[in-house]
Amino acid sequence: MQNLRMELILALFGLWLLPATSPAVEPPPRRFNFENDIVPILNRYGCNASGCHGKAEGQNGFKLSVFGFDPATDYAALTQESRGRRIVPVVPEQSLLLSKASGKVPHGGGIRLARNSDDYRTLHEWIVAGLPFGSANDPRVVSIEVTPREQQLAMRGRQPLRVTGTFSDGRKEDVTRHARFQSNNEGLGNVDEAGVVTAGESPGEVAIMATYMGAVDVFRALIPRPEKIEPYPSLPEQNFIDPLVWAKLRKLNIAPSELATDAEFLRRVFLDVIGTLPTADEARAFLNDKRPDRKPRLVDDLLQRPEFADFWALKWADVLRVDRQALGHKRAYAYHRWIRDSLAANKPYDQFCRELLTASGPASEVPATAFFKAVNQPGQMAATLSQVLLGVRIECAQCHHHPFDRWSQTDYFGMQAYFTQVQIKQSPRGEVLLASSDAATTHPRTGERVYAFPLGDEPAKANVTGDRRQQLAAWWTSPDNPWFAKNFVNRMWASFAGRGLVEPVDDMRMTNPPSNAELLDALARHFVTTKYDVRELIRTITASRVYQLSATPNETNARDERNFSRALFKTLGAEVALDAVCQTTGVPEKFAGVPTGSRAIQLWDSQVDHAFLKLFGRPTRVTACECERSVEPSVAQVLHVLNSPEIHEKLTHEAGRVAKLSGSVSDDAALTDELYLTAFSRFPTDTERLAVTDYLKSVSNNRRRAVEDILWSLMNTPEFLFNH
Amino acid sequence: MPSAKFCDGLHRRDLLRIGGAGLFGLPLSLSSILRGTSHGKESANESVRKPESDVSVILLFLKGGLSTIDTFDLKPNAPAEFRGEFNSIDTNVPGIRIGEHLPLIAQQMDKFSLIRSFTHRNSDHGPADHYMITGYHPAAGFNPNLKPNNQRPAHGSIISHKLGPRGSVPPYVCLPRVHSSAGSAYLGSSAAPFVVEADPNDPNFAVPDLAPPFEVESSRLNSRKDLLSRVDKYQRGGELQANRAAGAVSTFQRKAFELMTSSATKAAFDIHQEPDKLRDEYGRNSLGQSVLMARRLVEAGVRCVMIDHTNWDTHYGNFASLKNDLLPLLDSGLSTLFRDLSDRGRLGSTMVVVTGEFGRTPRINKDAGRDHWGPGFTVLVGGGGVRGGLVVGKSDARAEKPDGPSHGPEDLAATIYHLLGMNPKEEFYTPEGRPVPIVNGGHVISELL
Repeated sequence: MQNLRMELILALFGLWLLPATSPAVEPPPRRFNFENDIVPILNRYGCNASGCHGKAEGQNGFKLSVFGFDPATDYAALTQESRGRRIVPVVPEQSLLLSKASGKVPHGGGIRLARNSDDYRTLHEWIVAGLPFGSANDPRVVSIEVTPREQQLAMRGRQPLRVTGTFSDGRKEDVTRHARFQSNNEGLGNVDEAGVVTAGESPGEVAIMATYMGAVDVFRALIPRPEKIEPYPSLPEQNFIDPLVWAKLRKLNIAPSELATDAEFLRRVFLDVIGTLPTADEARAFLNDKRPDRKPRLVDDLLQRPEFADFWALKWADVLRVDRQALGHKRAYAYHRWIRDSLAANKPYDQFCRELLTASGPASEVPATAFFKAVNQPGQMAATLSQVLLGVRIECAQCHHHPFDRWSQTDYFGMQAYFTQVQIKQSPRGEVLLASSDAATTHPRTGERVYAFPLGDEPAKANVTGDRRQQLAAWWTSPDNPWFAKNFVNRMWASFAGRGLVEPVDDMRMTNPPSNAELLDALARHFVTTKYDVRELIRTITASRVYQLSATPNETNARDERNFSRALFKTLGAEVALDAVCQTTGVPEKFAGVPTGSRAIQLWDSQVDHAFLKLFGRPTRVTACECERSVEPSVAQVLHVLNSPEIHEKLTHEAGRVAKLSGSVSDDAALTDELYLTAFSRFPTDTERLAVTDYLKSVSNNRRRAVEDILWSLMNTPEFLFNH
Repeated sequence: MPSAKFCDGLHRRDLLRIGGAGLFGLPLSLSSILRGTSHGKESANESVRKPESDVSVILLFLKGGLSTIDTFDLKPNAPAEFRGEFNSIDTNVPGIRIGEHLPLIAQQMDKFSLIRSFTHRNSDHGPADHYMITGYHPAAGFNPNLKPNNQRPAHGSIISHKLGPRGSVPPYVCLPRVHSSAGSAYLGSSAAPFVVEADPNDPNFAVPDLAPPFEVESSRLNSRKDLLSRVDKYQRGGELQANRAAGAVSTFQRKAFELMTSSATKAAFDIHQEPDKLRDEYGRNSLGQSVLMARRLVEAGVRCVMIDHTNWDTHYGNFASLKNDLLPLLDSGLSTLFRDLSDRGRLGSTMVVVTGEFGRTPRINKDAGRDHWGPGFTVLVGGGGVRGGLVVGKSDARAEKPDGPSHGPEDLAATIYHLLGMNPKEEFYTPEGRPVPIVNGGHVISELL
């Protein structure tokens, strides 16, 4: 306080007096640099956050660059705009910067900064020091390091973190109190403003991110179950995946579930590989197969089926934006067809991506050009393809430095420059995609020319000649690319295991570490070694014991959702669920505009009007995010399966399964087996068979109605509604 | 922590005590324990809990943010760039004046009160919504685009979890759609709102798929239900506790059966039973009919109805939209609600809260609009034990911020819970075992009581 008053007096005397009148015993006045000293404060208190003054239109007339990416403009906004009211050098307390942030004057953002805090003092001193901007030669932060990097914590254990910044002049400084911290899972571990981590009361692993001046680092804590498992069981290993998962589970004191039954494997692998339930006959055949290699044989068979291409084309069509409204009927259909045919032919994944990335020529001959019509801005092309093919999100860097990653605007526009050549022109042969111009990209802030260069590389000095996308495609699909193979195997793993090694699957960054980095690396290496063979990857994943575990938890793994100690329940997805209902009831759906008998997984157009598909979360394909497909269950979904006229009609249909079976199968036990094989892909237990045959007897005057009731009951269980 | 406690903070003996509890979202329902959602610390000292109150709450949320300087807290003496175009009028309570475009509401002033000293620190859609609807300001990492985006449970979910259902109707209903912050967060699916995805003003209004098909009469439905429970092999296993989505489906199914088989529910949702004249008075629009539906639902036993009414974000042409489009809806709907509740003798057991996520800037912008403003606005509360005809607190000369003691979202939450017979100081446990107070340190606004 004494200090403050002294400064106030000094300020009133005039700033030029400052150095001369400072007491000799005090340290020399601080050499401020706006970007190093002031911007981190605006960051820390959220002043420049995207919800406040960092918004594109600012807040109540005061606009800062979001997260402080543009210090020069922020400096001007603070010191020059608003008739100098934001900063009043002669009476610093009257500066709106201080009086609003500290709540002395009403502030839409409330009280952000306590008047007795160090940061308030820093702002005050900076004002008193004459608002120095600093020089371009002042040292800047090049990296930060969190210590410790990793630590095993007991439940409710605490760990203070220290953040050390390295500056461009080689100096290292403790910046802990200016850094921002964030936990990736508040339930597992929390962090306070001072960087003290507190573990929760569940076993698992938590990552704490520290950010300072655009630099990021991560602390990871492993929180094992307190009870050790001794002796730890010796676990079978069916391929390289298993030991990598077992090693992690052992560290957490978690034991995996038992092996799933053949019937569980059967249903799971059908739904995972071809998005289709096995029929009763298919189920019976597999359950009677006693050959030791029946599982890999089944997977091989599934990989050859047409539904394989349908199902995976549906998934790709979501993120590659097969959008009828943007593309028109004909082109959307051809684009979907190209995706589906590529899958049916088992086109190596790298080749598929190269064809997509470099698509050019007449639209009628090169269907993949449709991507560049559905996504028609160069920046969006770069951002969408990075997210889909690399799992790297660069969209934020269009306007500002990525808050949780290393990407700057230069990186974004370096990527954008690969796509500025792309033009779709009318020709006598219809639309043609050309990519040969010498279109230039300029940095929106500096106005300097940016040349095409790939993410993670140094900025280029010139553009390559010809279609720049060729260079990008070569680098992205090269075995040395750090993300390409990992992104794909992670998405595939998520699809089979119910959860990505990195989650969300399209957000790979240092600050979002994988739950099992060794497994992610090993899968990616395997994928590269097998020349990007998608089917081989599926064979490998499904052959692991980890994939074949039961969904029944044991007492050590019931709370583990992230380490693959048991099979997770997966929602079926709108189209798969509808097909399952249709196949089980034996009454196919009729969709507008496609041939009769088409399944929902064959729909290339996600706009086909359909109540069930909408209710069960079909995406509309307007973003590159897999999260557009909603997986949250709702009461409305449940009511629909219980009561809707649509499902009732299928159960009671004259040509449906119920009508057929109740007329043709007179033996109650045989009928029960058939219904169980149809809906659950397994035989009933004795108790279940008795329950159902009892029911048939009790409603003996109307067998068909009784069978309707039975199938209705089976279809309303979680066993039917989920993949487990 | 005592050794006899589960990792989710529950004493083993509590498990025995809940044996007879119903299944429908009760705080100690078997489902919520098995599914490891969350449980009140109060479970250990349930015997000291106050007897259940019979007060319900209707939360009319004016999404976008109501301009209270133009409605409930006019400043005729403020400079022109603040006071706006509207004049104030007398109400049926001497000394209290409100905006001229709410003439019908003015005649019900004796039945509700105004908190003119309301304030909070966020002026951004999304976080401010979450703050008002849950009583908790969202923490870092909040993503308003998620549906639901709740880091904390909405008031309705807390009420639902804490008090459970009253009769066979759901305890917490959202109309005519669900607000993104109306979810149950760590309280899990058993406390999630029942969402009516339909507009009560629609001439064919009905809750979709609520009734079984015509051929499935009630005895058949019962035998189906019985059979379903015998063929559901996961009903007794650990799988549903360990898989959130599957557990939710199971919970939702139990809720669905309760709803389907309840004639009270069927009747409550049948808005066509209301006399045409009364429906007209409420206003033949989404706001009016939703408010009327809320009254029906509360009468049938629903504890919390949240109405999400949108388009109050008047950045442009604030005065024209208020006067021509928005205020007439509010005036007829809300005034009829207070009169109707009072006529039916239910005002004392029905609390009504009307608010947006924030107010609007008292200073008029260049587009004759008003922007977001959290620092000072008015919240309307009435019924359920709230005294009528009061003004609590005051704002400064330009209605920019409270002048004197102020109240915030935490205080509003504490007041609602208090009137519903809950203790605002109680704690819940999250699935990870973290204790969380149901209100983040607020105080009951005692002047209202």
